Amino acid sequence: MSGLDLPLREQAGAIATGELDPGALLDESLARIEERNPAVNAVVETFPERSREMLEAAPEGPLRGVPVVIKDEWPLPWRAQRFGAAEMLRPVEPGESAPFRALRDAGAVIVGVGNMHEAGAGSTGNISVYEPARNPWDTERCPGGSSSGPAAAVAAGLVAGAVGADGIGSIRFPAAYCGLTGLKPTFGRSAMEGHHMGAITTMIVSGPLCADAADARLLGSALYGEELVAGSAEGLRIGVVRDEVSEDVSPEVAEACETAIEQLRAESGGEVREVALAELPASALAAVLIANVESLDGIAPERLNRLSPELSPIYRGFAKYRMLMPAAAAVKAARVRDLMRRRVAGLFEEVDLLAWPTVPAVAPALEAPLVELPSGTLTADQANVRGAGLANLTGIPAISVPVGRGAGGLPIALQLQAAWGRDELLLDAAEALERANGREWVECRP
Amino acid sequence: MEATDNYLVGGLAELGIEADEVEMGVIRVAHQLFWPAILELLALDVGEVGPEANPDLSKAP
Repeated sequence: MSGLDLPLREQAGAIATGELDPGALLDESLARIEERNPAVNAVVETFPERSREMLEAAPEGPLRGVPVVIKDEWPLPWRAQRFGAAEMLRPVEPGESAPFRALRDAGAVIVGVGNMHEAGAGSTGNISVYEPARNPWDTERCPGGSSSGPAAAVAAGLVAGAVGADGIGSIRFPAAYCGLTGLKPTFGRSAMEGHHMGAITTMIVSGPLCADAADARLLGSALYGEELVAGSAEGLRIGVVRDEVSEDVSPEVAEACETAIEQLRAESGGEVREVALAELPASALAAVLIANVESLDGIAPERLNRLSPELSPIYRGFAKYRMLMPAAAAVKAARVRDLMRRRVAGLFEEVDLLAWPTVPAVAPALEAPLVELPSGTLTADQANVRGAGLANLTGIPAISVPVGRGAGGLPIALQLQAAWGRDELLLDAAEALERANGREWVECRP
Repeated sequence: MEATDNYLVGGLAELGIEADEVEMGVIRVAHQLFWPAILELLALDVGEVGPEANPDLSKAP
């Protein structure tokens, strides 16, 4: 077996003990990108000399010599981010972003930049200035967005770990569609400095995308700048919401997630409680409105008359529509945030986790990203945001874990959410679930 | 429909934002998707909970 097919933690371990040559591993990763990337378009740029320089200078950190991919959302010292778009609304330059520094200081080697949905504005990954990334499970299907490339890179075995960003589900959606474990940290816990919206966003966080929870813990520790210590997942009180997020989902998703919740309950010796979260639909819209308002920071209307024609029509039209959203709605969205933070804080006195499907259906077709749900046909974006916005709106951490396979063998995923700062519990719970299902889903490969 | 177009076309014009036909098509679809939900949001009563002063999103309120 190639060293590249080892889990991230085993690559790091084998390099540390001298069993694996990190130079050979880097060459192998570059060769695999050359071989497999044309089919998935996950990696939009490599820079072998820069990667070799990173390896030569790599400190004895926990990720020394391990190749990783970083989303096209942060600057690197030798490359400005493009944000998956033909142009950005504000000028950006190359630089040392905090995720870059975190990876470098942990000894990791950035082997390439990951594709992403244009301007981070979609849950599918089907629009990008680089052309869309493709789902390694079925290259006619969406890989999920906006961290489409990082997820597709890991699922295709180009690297064992990648760094994404999550503003409204943008780590969790591609993790779900590609059968990976994706962690959205508590707001403010992970490296963000250097992001072009870092000073204004109250929604976006960086986070890891890996095959399983142990790898996400290791890569996440680098991004958090602290060890995400493993703890106990005993006696978990799991809250489920009988709402559209768990009811208006495809039957195969409902069944797999219910099975997984029961497995997690049994493994932890805990209990499942039904809880109410009446304003959940409003929280999704509030999250969208706040994200949209924040994206307008510093943008004069006149700037929108000079958008590049290379930007997609959807981006150009929506950028202009944002200017028409009523200020009263933005203020109300902030009030909904206050309300939901209190609601969620109250819920986390009763339960340790909230659990519902990450996305309501398996990855849709790239050509037409629509999903068939009990309520009818929706765009994937409409459907996906319903279960994802709460974590970004309130700041709580969330994780997406693979829990089954649906139509066409495509992955199904469960989302777990915990109280602020309990990111480690999510990883503990994800590991407990892996034990409960015999690691069946995290060890599946396309 | 006329009111919608007045809002969209007039609003953009007031802001000095130009939009071609393709962009206007996107804007109309976006409005159809968002506006009902925005009206629902505006009607939502959140009076039971007062505003959180300077919320720290990394912590519970």
